[in-house]
Amino acid sequence: MKRYVLFVIALIVTAIYLFPLYWMYITVFKSAAEMFQYPPTFWPQHGESHIWQVFTERGMGKFLWNSFIIACGTTAVTVFVGTGAAYALASVQNRWTGFAIFAVLVLQALPSSLMVTPIFTAFKGLGLLDTPRLAVVIAQITKTLPFYIVLCRASFVQIPRELRDAALVDGASPARAFFGVILPLAVNGILVTAILVFLQSFGEYVYARSLILDDQYQTATVGLSAFIGATKIDWIGIMTYSAVFVTPILIAFMLLQRRIVAGLTAGALK
Amino acid sequence: MKKFLSHFEQRSGFEIALAVFALAYLLVFAGLPLLYNIMLSFQQVDLMEPATLLRPFAGLANYRDIFSRPEMHQVLINTLLFVGLSLFFQVVIGFLLAVLFAQDFPLASFMRGLFLAGWIMPGLVVGVIWKLLFAGDFGVLNHLLLSSGLMHERIFWLSDPSYSLYAVIIANVWLGVPFNMLLLSVGLAAIPGDLYEAAELDGANAFQRFYGITLPMMKATLGAVISLGAIMTMQQFDLIAALTQGGPANSSQVAQYWSWQLSFQTFEVSAGSAVATLMLVLVLIIAVFYVRSTRSERLV
Repeated sequence: MKRYVLFVIALIVTAIYLFPLYWMYITVFKSAAEMFQYPPTFWPQHGESHIWQVFTERGMGKFLWNSFIIACGTTAVTVFVGTGAAYALASVQNRWTGFAIFAVLVLQALPSSLMVTPIFTAFKGLGLLDTPRLAVVIAQITKTLPFYIVLCRASFVQIPRELRDAALVDGASPARAFFGVILPLAVNGILVTAILVFLQSFGEYVYARSLILDDQYQTATVGLSAFIGATKIDWIGIMTYSAVFVTPILIAFMLLQRRIVAGLTAGALK
Repeated sequence: MKKFLSHFEQRSGFEIALAVFALAYLLVFAGLPLLYNIMLSFQQVDLMEPATLLRPFAGLANYRDIFSRPEMHQVLINTLLFVGLSLFFQVVIGFLLAVLFAQDFPLASFMRGLFLAGWIMPGLVVGVIWKLLFAGDFGVLNHLLLSSGLMHERIFWLSDPSYSLYAVIIANVWLGVPFNMLLLSVGLAAIPGDLYEAAELDGANAFQRFYGITLPMMKATLGAVISLGAIMTMQQFDLIAALTQGGPANSSQVAQYWSWQLSFQTFEVSAGSAVATLMLVLVLIIAVFYVRSTRSERLV
């Protein structure tokens, strides 16, 4: 009996929490008149869809493509640079690695909105703003790399040290032991963390907004924010844009939910 | 240097190289901008000039400038309220949810997973959705509060200066609750079950068990969650950009957004950098606190 009371409570709480998401999705299918109706309707009366119209009018294809490219670049470099570091910081534990982890954490702790001014001035001087997508990738990695190292380190910590030592005794070089023995065992954690980095980068806003001056290279978040600034707000358009943008993220999350939760809980507090 | 390398005696140059490579990247692209920012805050900066390292030294003029601005007082209070209230409600609601989902009932872990959907969404999208919910004349939040009798007249959440900051805080709590719940769930799961059984045998009621076992055992986790939450709240930019952009009349302005506006909208880079440097000091203090609490976690 108690289990079912708890179940009902949990169901209500979850429904309340997810209500904003529900509201986004039903707004997509409302008509302009219904949109501004008061009291609001909780189910679209004459379902219409503006998905294709918003997609083409707003040039979402281009925006999403830019976001995708930037997210791919960010994820690739983060994984390439971060995996080794996470392994090194997991396998050696002393004062120096302790300090390194602290440094990594502190460097991540600063808001992008504060980092972006010096990055902008420096990148302008270096001429990096001429290749805006690259500039954003470089800037974003400073955010994703610490996050990646901390989470990945947790999955390396769980691999017994003896495995590496055994490989070395068998005559493998340290690099071979890493690529041949350790890395395959950590692949799961690496994949999950990489996907989180990808999603984070896909939805990034500050760096894209501040470093990309040419509209042609702008990302999906900035395309969305351009909607909000308008004096007359097209709510259906905004919600449609948001839904198109966020649905792939939510699907990826749902498919991987279990693993993401396991990966996060292992890494979060270590 | 030799002494430094001797720490890695049993390890090869391979592992050292891996770590150094990543750290070097971070030091160059995050560490240097950080120092550069501190430097900028003591210089006179004109964005229209070509970027040079050496600019006229301004001493504390930029700091004096921001402290003499009329909005400074409000930004300070808003930042404190934004961080303090967000943290308080995120931790309390996150804790209650963690306790709820730690109970044994059908689909518990599935529903807990659904909560994280809010966490994975881009902040800007979350902000836009909340902007719609908060709408004054046709917003669903006003409708629900009015029709349930909790409220008697409409609130213009985002355009009324006395509510705008709280509206942003509500949305930020929504965004932060899943992460808090997740970390606190991990902490709860680590408490051995037989402690509760023993306490129950000794006749402790639910409240005594919570106060006597759960809270003390969760001390380290709570420390980590609070400091991580503080850092994440101080990083919140997208939500403010989508909801109020600090307005109306700075009523929802917070330091991290103000700093960006100064640098990128009014091009007062010196003032923006000074605000950023002040935030940096705060973040550093919290980061030390975080590392301390995770360290004690490891010892338990």
